[in-house]
Amino acid sequence: MADPKYAALFLAESREHLRACNQLLLAWERDAAASEPVNGLFRAIHNIKGMAATMGYSAVADLAHRAESVLETVRGGRAATPELIQLLFRSVDALEKAIEGAAAGKDEPPAGLLAALDRVASAGAPAPAAPGASAATPPVARAAGVRKGPVGHLVGVTIRGAAPMRGARALLALQRAETLGRVTALRPAAVAFEREDFDGRFSFHLRTDAPKEQIEAAVRSAGEVAAVAFDGNVVIEAEGPAVAARQIRVDLHRLDAMMKQVGELVVARNRLVERVRGDDSEVSELAAVISRLVSDLQSEIVEMRMTPVSEVFDRFPRLVRDLARDLGKQIRFEVEGGDIELDRAILDELGDPLLHLIRNAADHGLEAAAEREAVGKPAEGRILLSATRERRSVAIRVSDDGRGIDRAAILAKAKREGLADAGVATLTDDLLLRVLARPGFTTAAQVSGVSGRGVGVEVALGRARALGGSLDVQTEPGRGTTFTLRVPLTLAIVRALLAQAGEERYAVPLVYVAETVEFDARAVTALRSREALVVRDRVIPTVHLRDLVAARAGGEPARRPTIILEVGERRTALVVDALLGQQDIVIEPFDAPRGMPPYLGGATILADGAPALILDAAALV
Amino acid sequence: MSHTVLVCDDAIFMRTMISDILNQAGFEIVGEAESGLQAVQKYRELKPDLVTMDIVMPDMGGIEAVREICKQDPDAKILMCSAMGQQALVVEAIQAGAKDFVVKPFQPSRVLEAVQRVLG
Repeated sequence: MADPKYAALFLAESREHLRACNQLLLAWERDAAASEPVNGLFRAIHNIKGMAATMGYSAVADLAHRAESVLETVRGGRAATPELIQLLFRSVDALEKAIEGAAAGKDEPPAGLLAALDRVASAGAPAPAAPGASAATPPVARAAGVRKGPVGHLVGVTIRGAAPMRGARALLALQRAETLGRVTALRPAAVAFEREDFDGRFSFHLRTDAPKEQIEAAVRSAGEVAAVAFDGNVVIEAEGPAVAARQIRVDLHRLDAMMKQVGELVVARNRLVERVRGDDSEVSELAAVISRLVSDLQSEIVEMRMTPVSEVFDRFPRLVRDLARDLGKQIRFEVEGGDIELDRAILDELGDPLLHLIRNAADHGLEAAAEREAVGKPAEGRILLSATRERRSVAIRVSDDGRGIDRAAILAKAKREGLADAGVATLTDDLLLRVLARPGFTTAAQVSGVSGRGVGVEVALGRARALGGSLDVQTEPGRGTTFTLRVPLTLAIVRALLAQAGEERYAVPLVYVAETVEFDARAVTALRSREALVVRDRVIPTVHLRDLVAARAGGEPARRPTIILEVGERRTALVVDALLGQQDIVIEPFDAPRGMPPYLGGATILADGAPALILDAAALV
Repeated sequence: MSHTVLVCDDAIFMRTMISDILNQAGFEIVGEAESGLQAVQKYRELKPDLVTMDIVMPDMGGIEAVREICKQDPDAKILMCSAMGQQALVVEAIQAGAKDFVVKPFQPSRVLEAVQRVLG
């Protein structure tokens, strides 16, 4: 049974079970009397055992069997002690190792743990001991379908065809439903609501005890609702079968390949549309049809790749628990916004930087219990990991309520290293981040409370930039520190504003464009000896694209459009020669050659076939 | 007792039109604002039962005004007035706390339906 196809499936599914095991163990640890986690754990480990035995991975199956035996004694009425839970945590870790090992061709039993498991299992075994069945022939697994489904309904909603802005109406209906319970499995993803061609049909799962009549009334109270269907009757595709969450597993590489091809298709589409513009022949009509189909295809694939951030977030509660044990600190770890969705490719890149930021928060941000109590804080420190949607990006924050970063010490250090002029009196958040992200900053042990942050911040900043996002830090002495990682919802295809400077064209991702205004010489002022522009009562520092890229060709035009870039709270006014409209662009990531200016984030091919550089807004503000 | 309304739009024409529609239906227009900033201030002073809010206004746009007002009063009942093609902005406004929306050009019946939904 060494079919590689099954091996991959086994690995993917086992990892899901292990992730669930960690979550369940954490829940169990919080409430040792709860029975739900025990049953969940039993099912997960039992499934792993069955799969491993089928694959012929006897060491994995054996380990799972013994862990299961320990759980059996708890189900038989034995009380859960912290030691027992810790033993199971270790077992889950060992299972993970054994599973990865088995998949890589090394099916070996873990050292030491088996005996401990057996000892605990036999010590608490109820009268008839668990059958000593060999692990390779596990007891027949009960039907996998026994997993208890969440309470609630699959709800399908159709907004009236004649209603204006069906997407916004759909969002209202969804919000009304949310007053009754938790919404999951939203299809299409919420981003579709912003599209002008959203067809008004969507479905979601609502976890609630409310009866169908009440759900329907709530949804209809949003207005313009043509129909509400439930469960088996929910049909999203007019001609397709009921949506009832039929799923297949697809290798991510295939989706990646598809995304790339669609990217190229979008560029070709843009060129085609450009080419036939103003041509009222049948060709132009066909081009419009193709254009719409490509847009649909594109958003379909993007949605397919959308994954809730909990996929990554879920691994951290366990990590923080272990960190707290190692550091001897009391840490309450909270997660918010786990159901916010991101492109899988971006999500995969976030594990590392978040790991570093969370580790820093636990290690350096939070004080020891005694130190906290001495300043009147609760002994238990708090770390919050949260995700929120902002326009077309997602902000992920790691906050701690620890000691904050000592600005004076950092400023002194920045001056010593020549990062700040001697005359600088206050350390801005931006400068702080630059200092923290200095490679090798960590070795400076003399700055208490921050040493060690360097590596993590450097990794997080680098990753954020590479994804077209940004990293911010806010800190308050005694109150804590928050790192904010902003990333776009999806990679590859973004909507961009095209701007001209000299003879070159540049693309600015729309995510970061707050508005465009006309450069008004009368509104020019100075901000900390830099030129700035007053826009709607806000003083915004300016950057002239011509100066930045040293464009000489063509005289500076009389009228100068200005793009207000916005990254988080910060703004910059980018003065350009001309604005050339919007376009979907495909970002071609390039390995930045040494010495390439940081404000360039990539390259793209425009609709007319000419290349253009992409400006990295985060590096400009 | 009739419901009180604050009408926010930077165009006098639109303010007049919305006020007329609502007046005729028996609502009491207690104030008008021509910018987001004014809308936030007047909301604080007047505590109206309903706010109609244009999206694009000088000195703080409608969406930011919604955010500010909802920060002060999470139960604020705000109806967005939007133009065609602003769906993404309307979605953002709803996420910020707006309770419903109408799309220009206004039909009195549509406006009143939306108002009833918001107040109901």
